[in-house]
Amino acid sequence: MHVIHMGHDVFKANDKVAEKNRKNLDKHGVFSVNVMGAIGSGKTTLIEEAVRHLKDKYRTAVIAGDVIAEMDASRFRKLGVPTTPVNTGKECHLDAKLVEKALGEVDLDNTDLLIIENVGNLICPVDFKLGEHLRVVVVSVTEGDDIILKHPMIFKTSELAVINKVDIAHAVDVDAEKMRDDIHSLNPDIPVILTSKHDWESLETWIGFIELGIGRTQEARKK
Amino acid sequence: MHEYSIACEIFEQVIETAKVHGALEVRHVTLEMGRLSHTNPEQLSFCFKAIAEGSIAENAEFIVETIPPSLECECGYTGTVDETQIGKNDELQSELLEYIAALECPVCGKNARIIGGRELIVKSIEIETEVEQ
Ligand SMILES: [Zn+2]
Repeated sequence: MHVIHMGHDVFKANDKVAEKNRKNLDKHGVFSVNVMGAIGSGKTTLIEEAVRHLKDKYRTAVIAGDVIAEMDASRFRKLGVPTTPVNTGKECHLDAKLVEKALGEVDLDNTDLLIIENVGNLICPVDFKLGEHLRVVVVSVTEGDDIILKHPMIFKTSELAVINKVDIAHAVDVDAEKMRDDIHSLNPDIPVILTSKHDWESLETWIGFIELGIGRTQEARKK
Repeated sequence: MHEYSIACEIFEQVIETAKVHGALEVRHVTLEMGRLSHTNPEQLSFCFKAIAEGSIAENAEFIVETIPPSLECECGYTGTVDETQIGKNDELQSELLEYIAALECPVCGKNARIIGGRELIVKSIEIETEVEQ
């Protein structure tokens, strides 16, 4: 019997592919957003709103991750933007290899903004970087106000948090401000946006955040 | 369940290494698991067994060593979190939350950057190269 030392880091293997993805995106001047969140948090609706208002200004494409169906992908296609569905089969998250494959189907030369909708889940996507420029976590008030402290790592490792469906917070007896405080207790530096699909101003803030990223990418490219 | 894809990756690495070393059987797989990784050792072991069925690793046992989170602060501090503080605050209902609450710099108290504790490493395997008489 003998022992063989390996030292193979499973997540680092993913991170390496993610790094490759990031370089590929940078080379083409594409700004990419990874939208994570539970099923029913409103990820698809928020992405639709962003696509609807940005597609004429920036060349926009979407990668839609889903366990089996293509429902979300068809919602984005209806908006007239190139959409690549990624079916994960039994998996609960997208990983860098799946995104690498999907990037092969995206016309990166003709894309300014790539939005990646992750599979609905607050745990598994955390451990898998995709190569994205902006990691967003979406959480809705309907998930209850203890949802944040139950899933600390996703709030710790994201770069933007969206609390969605705040228009019905009262009806579900949840305090959206408490949710904001909880997020800041885990990650003091993260910007937190409160949104509702019935409040255009709140959506503008969300869309503005993405636009800021696109602007920076395009600026960096000019240099 | 993300343990399945992780188990697949571990299985591939283990089998490849075992074959290179002429293994007849893999007895143990030793993993190093960061406290902040979202991986459940029992589920991982279950998935691995399912994948390894019929292979030379089908009876392999998982040994899991945990790694505490380590931090880097802008004040210059680097080091691991103080594990003696974990388990002392009843208000924090999970171990994960306790670790996260402890992620501040012991020198200046600022919120420090996580530099370790999220890893999952296949550290070593123990193999049998010939049938013992
Ligand atoms: Zn410090």
